[in-house]
Amino acid sequence: MKINNLLCLLALAFGHVVLAQNITGNVTDENGVPLPGATVLLEGTSQGVSTDFDGNYSIEASSGDNLVFSFVGYSSQTLTVGSNSQINVQLLPDNALEEVVVTALGIKRNIKALGYSVTQVGGEEINTVKNTNAINALQGKIAGVQISGNATGAKGSSRVIIRGNSSLSGNNQPLYVIDGITINNSNLGSAGVWGGSDAGDGISALNPDEVESVSVLKGGAAAALYGSRASNGVILITTKSGSSTEGLGVELSSSFQFDDIKNDPYDPQTTYGQGRDYSTDSDNADTYANWGLPLDGSSVEQWDGISRPYSYKGNNLEKFYKSGSTFINTIALSNNTDKSNMRLSFSNLQNSDIIPNSTLERNTLGLNASQQFGNFSATINTKYINDDSVGAPRLSDSPGNANFGIRLFAPSIDVNDMLGAGGLGTNEDGTEFRTSDNTFSQNPWFAAYQYFNYSVRERFIGSAEVRWDIFEFLYLTGRFGNDRYDYRRTSGTPFGTAYQPLGSMQEYSLTNIQNDGDLFLGTNNLKLIDDLALTAFAGIGKNYQKSESVTANGSNFIVPFLYNVKNTENQSTGYGFSERKINSAYGSVELGFKEALYFTITARNDWFSTLSLPGKTTPNNDLYTSASLSLVLSDLVALPEIFTFLKFRGGYSQVAGGANSPYALNLTYGIYGQGHQGASLGNISNNTIPNENITPFEKNETEVGFDLRMFDNRASLDFTYYSNETDGDIVGVSASPTSGFNSALANLGVITNKGIEMLFNFRPIQQNDFSWDLTFNYSNNTSEIVSTNDTGTNISLDEPRSRNLRVTHIVGEQYGALFGTSYNRDAQGRIIHDIDPDGTPIPKIGDRKILGFGITPVSVGLTNSFRYKNFNFSFLIEGKNGGQIYSGTNALSKYFGAHKATIDADGRENGFTVSGVDAAGAAFTTTIAPDRIEDYWRRTYSIAEEAIYDSDYLRLRQLSLGYSFPSSVLENTFIRNASVSLIGRNLFFLQNSVENVDPESGYNVSNSQGLEWFGLPVPRSIGMNINLKF
Amino acid sequence: MKMKKVITTFSLFCLILVSCDFDEGFEELNINPTKVAQLDVNNKFASVFLRASGGRYENWRASLIYSSCIVQHIASTATYWTGNFYTRNEGYATSLFDRAYPEQVKEIEDIIFQLNEEGNSGTAMGVARIWRVFIYHRLTDLYGDIPYSEAGKGFIDGILKPKYDAQQDIYMNILAELEAATGQLGADTLGVSDLVFQGDVNKWKKFGNSMMLRLAMRLTKVDAASAQSWASKAIAAGTMTSNEDIAYIQHTAGPGGINKNGHGEVFTADGNPRLAKTFVDFLQGDPRLPILAARRSDGSTDPADLIGLPNGLTSGALETKYGTFSEDYAEPNRNVITGEDAPMVFQTYAEVEFLKAEAAVRGWYNGDAKTHYENGVKAAMQMLSQLYPNAATISDAQVADYLTARPFDMANAMKMIHEQYWVVTFLNEYEAFANWRRTGYPELEPFGGEAVYDGNVTQGTIPRRMIYPNGESSTNPDSFAEAIARQGENEFTTRVWWDR
Repeated sequence: MKINNLLCLLALAFGHVVLAQNITGNVTDENGVPLPGATVLLEGTSQGVSTDFDGNYSIEASSGDNLVFSFVGYSSQTLTVGSNSQINVQLLPDNALEEVVVTALGIKRNIKALGYSVTQVGGEEINTVKNTNAINALQGKIAGVQISGNATGAKGSSRVIIRGNSSLSGNNQPLYVIDGITINNSNLGSAGVWGGSDAGDGISALNPDEVESVSVLKGGAAAALYGSRASNGVILITTKSGSSTEGLGVELSSSFQFDDIKNDPYDPQTTYGQGRDYSTDSDNADTYANWGLPLDGSSVEQWDGISRPYSYKGNNLEKFYKSGSTFINTIALSNNTDKSNMRLSFSNLQNSDIIPNSTLERNTLGLNASQQFGNFSATINTKYINDDSVGAPRLSDSPGNANFGIRLFAPSIDVNDMLGAGGLGTNEDGTEFRTSDNTFSQNPWFAAYQYFNYSVRERFIGSAEVRWDIFEFLYLTGRFGNDRYDYRRTSGTPFGTAYQPLGSMQEYSLTNIQNDGDLFLGTNNLKLIDDLALTAFAGIGKNYQKSESVTANGSNFIVPFLYNVKNTENQSTGYGFSERKINSAYGSVELGFKEALYFTITARNDWFSTLSLPGKTTPNNDLYTSASLSLVLSDLVALPEIFTFLKFRGGYSQVAGGANSPYALNLTYGIYGQGHQGASLGNISNNTIPNENITPFEKNETEVGFDLRMFDNRASLDFTYYSNETDGDIVGVSASPTSGFNSALANLGVITNKGIEMLFNFRPIQQNDFSWDLTFNYSNNTSEIVSTNDTGTNISLDEPRSRNLRVTHIVGEQYGALFGTSYNRDAQGRIIHDIDPDGTPIPKIGDRKILGFGITPVSVGLTNSFRYKNFNFSFLIEGKNGGQIYSGTNALSKYFGAHKATIDADGRENGFTVSGVDAAGAAFTTTIAPDRIEDYWRRTYSIAEEAIYDSDYLRLRQLSLGYSFPSSVLENTFIRNASVSLIGRNLFFLQNSVENVDPESGYNVSNSQGLEWFGLPVPRSIGMNINLKF
Repeated sequence: MKMKKVITTFSLFCLILVSCDFDEGFEELNINPTKVAQLDVNNKFASVFLRASGGRYENWRASLIYSSCIVQHIASTATYWTGNFYTRNEGYATSLFDRAYPEQVKEIEDIIFQLNEEGNSGTAMGVARIWRVFIYHRLTDLYGDIPYSEAGKGFIDGILKPKYDAQQDIYMNILAELEAATGQLGADTLGVSDLVFQGDVNKWKKFGNSMMLRLAMRLTKVDAASAQSWASKAIAAGTMTSNEDIAYIQHTAGPGGINKNGHGEVFTADGNPRLAKTFVDFLQGDPRLPILAARRSDGSTDPADLIGLPNGLTSGALETKYGTFSEDYAEPNRNVITGEDAPMVFQTYAEVEFLKAEAAVRGWYNGDAKTHYENGVKAAMQMLSQLYPNAATISDAQVADYLTARPFDMANAMKMIHEQYWVVTFLNEYEAFANWRRTGYPELEPFGGEAVYDGNVTQGTIPRRMIYPNGESSTNPDSFAEAIARQGENEFTTRVWWDR
């Protein structure tokens, strides 16, 4: 006893000689329910423990030590160890009102003060079910943000639209900002009407494991401070820093997913085999023709001269597409002290697509570090990303498109017979083993294995920020960021391809640099007078972009199969260069009254190099402003008890956009090719008539909304109504190609978008060991084209390969009408036909009409999460509604007789019954003879209306079932946290309005949405994640 | 105190802001380092000559797939050779229309605009105007009423929706243009950028007048008086006098697609075309047959081995009816005429002789029809070895034998003249199609006499024009509707003005 006392006295005297005791206790939440997984940290050290399933903890500490108790979503508490060895703590939830979100320019603001709608989601939304393009994981999770999937393969780009499409032909995708710097998101290549492949975009380089949070600034008021590049909203991504760990830690995360096409809706007929005119006695090289006699097992000669049984050979899609896989492994080392933190991470992604010979490997090395010293703090965020991709699949038009033949081959044809004597689609001499009489339709194996497309992208994204707290209330921040990548691609058509026997190839090299610099001075919550606080800042910024490309093309290989661009007979070169700058000055003032009423105004002026031209009289700069108001009613007035929080908000903003392309103001000429017999060749380089007086367009937006929380925050409803108008959109006013140009540039477009966004959260069950959370989001956007140009003519965008339809903007209609040929109908809506001499009715092709719209107005998402003890289970049902799609796969499937619609209930042998009226108006019902059914259906290919479908769908998008190992199990190991989960994506459809294809089967991310043409099947993925923290 | 610090700091900051020059250097930055604001007109000439010769795209579709099969020079069993079956493929039919306006019309209008600005009214202007007529005449012959006076001027005059001029007005205008243009040809030359005549201005003069003769004779059905007056004018002004005057461009097999003969590129990519039976039957005993044709299966040029494929038959129908395969038939001779380095011929001296013969027959010209006919046949035969390095030379004796076996017969003058015209315009298919429509010779049966092909869109008749692109109904609706109201339905069977 005496000795103890003496020791304690000594301890007190010397201060840091401690007698550790074992402190135990229980941590509960505001309802007395135990909090498992709460952290108990010995302040000033890196020693900490987690509470177990019952909320109990045990830690070594001495009198006088401080123990910090914390848990996500709750206010931390610090308690000093006294004489009592048991310390119980009750944590109270973080007043959500103090929730802080990242807003424009990386400035964190209290959500209470914001007069506009911002949605912030945590990194787990992106890294639970991982996607090779990280942004796709947010589908269906954020109201007002519509993310469209694509059928372009694992490396594909993504189209993200916030609050509708604001520009008729310009860029509609948002600005991406990672750790404070804007990054380049250009699509490096895409498929169009004549084919091509998706070379990926910028945001796909982001490693899902590194995302800490994503903040979406949806409207103009939120984004106004980004000026002219933020007209479509801003997605701010913050990557993980060391600050979320306790002390030194290692994090390991491993995930693997397998893709298959078991849910692919393609369902062709399997009764009639290869042939034309209801006979098998015809050109057997026409392998797509499904118009033959019924399959009877007899021996027929096929396209290669070999006789095989005339019977159903099985599903060619299942034979050709293979199982895909994605492995993502990340290891991160982080350290956190009170003055500094850092995180070093390395990640490896390996993907093998469902189409053969298509892989992607991505390695990411990242270092985030931040240090405080005196009144300064410095932060750096750096990432090095290396993407190595093999075989980006070709899409749309048939040359080199493996997806084309697979769906159209007659059922009597087996794709496994097409491997050829040389293997993988080649003859013994290595040339294409042809499987069709059309030279432009490749053998699918040849297309997948022999066409080559290798690309490597080395990318460095880095930013550095220094903040100086000059006085307590005044700070100066300087930030510099750089996004730079080098992209190298080797691609080509192989030697021996049917339509290009001597082959060709291209070596392409692109360097893209983007720099951002900002310097701003600001004050935070400066008390001016009683009850009135000021948060303001003013600054200048600069953005510089440069892009340079060198291309070497070669055609006609001299030595066969030697794929080197110097081994070609005809060589040509290309060079591209562009650079532009935007300088800006900006400022923002926020006045807060009684911390319940906030008023914010912002202003920014941008100077554009793209609008500068010697001798130009119209201005080259533009001013954008915004004003917003936030009223927290629940803080000013006493509300009934069920309402925990009620805030109203509203704002008006003016942003701008467009004026993105340099060198667009005047007509220029260029020399092309290598001359001819000594003469140089020169011509006009513009396809669009330039306009010297172009200005950026203006987008004005009004938004109002409220944020309501009830029942002790167990239920919340966030609602926004917005209405925006883009004025003076730079439009390519349609010109008849007979003018020599396709369009002229003018600031004449006006387009409006109005809509609502709604986010509803509810926790119906909250028990000791079981809770159920429900999140429902809904958005509905209506667009209208108010004006296209001075005479209201249509603006035409892309067309599909059938060329009988165009995505068109029509005054008075919604964005992106599918304007194509229709059935010619009489006053009663009956289809008019021409009757052939033998009595066969052939539908007449009617005029072009609006057949639908490619943009879907309604998006919904419903997430259900359940937690039971250490298990968690959640699933997301997501859907879109209200749009249409033109399906090339269905159109050609009908043309070639592969579609079930071409067969009557009693089979083709009994003809095909058609009703309608003839050219004179007389009604008829005829049964077309079996050998003429083909001519009837071939005509429907020219009628775009026949291939238009609603694109509504509802699908089980995501599912995860996980288990977190309790701290009691991990207590004696060096593992701090361990969890494992089973995940699934695109598991099945609850509704699919399109037959034979997935409604998310577009082949590019351009403004021409609603076109589908032989893309990859959209796979279903099933996999597992393992997470360990040491 | 605090406020003072804040205000001071902010003011300092604003001062710095105001002193910045926010758009320094922007004007220079926005100038494209890889392009220029104006170019020497010679560079543009070389380009527009090659463009008019055409690329693979329109030569495959409008020239070979449609026109050559319609006039029964070519046949194929592949069903995508729609001209062989009179079926519809809008993209193929509109291909020349789609490509010519942005690639040829826009450039030639730009050249003429630049020459006007430079005050040049000499040879360059003359050549430009003649070439402009050449470009437009093919378009109007193939499609009928087309945008002409307002076309290609999107940047020059800001006309985004050119009106469709009536073909009659176009013809009267282009004939007058040729007259004026040939008058402008002077002493200066285009030099190395003259890919057609290598700077020889006299040949341009003869070409201008020969084109005038061609266009004049086009009007015989619909306006004989104009035809006569312009034909006489053309002949008097001086047309081509020998095979040295043939208007053609010599292509090379690279380095780029633009340097290659568009027809040659088609033959490289497409092994389906054959010589039609109608054509091969006519060439029996003609020394040109082994030069132009070779058997597909083994390349034999022995006339006994060369048979022509009947039009209108798929491979199944062919096998059923005749028991033969596409391989057994003659195709354009791949050793001689189908190369990517073959010349693209625009107008031959032989054609001029044939038109003069016709003018003589009509009494519009004081020459001897028989002499001109025989000159034409001789020129047509002997030009092959001049144009194609691998073609065997046809001797004067062979020509004489041929003429003796088929003596010129005044009673059948038009038939004989234009059957020969049809032979010499092989691979100048737009001209062959136009001339057949105007004269009715050779006498062709739909589908080459074979069965009517189910699925044809011409009610079993031979097409009389190509269709306009449907896209015009949305990009140029009013003018398009006006043209259709004036000319007739946008169908293959509608006749153009001079074909009525």
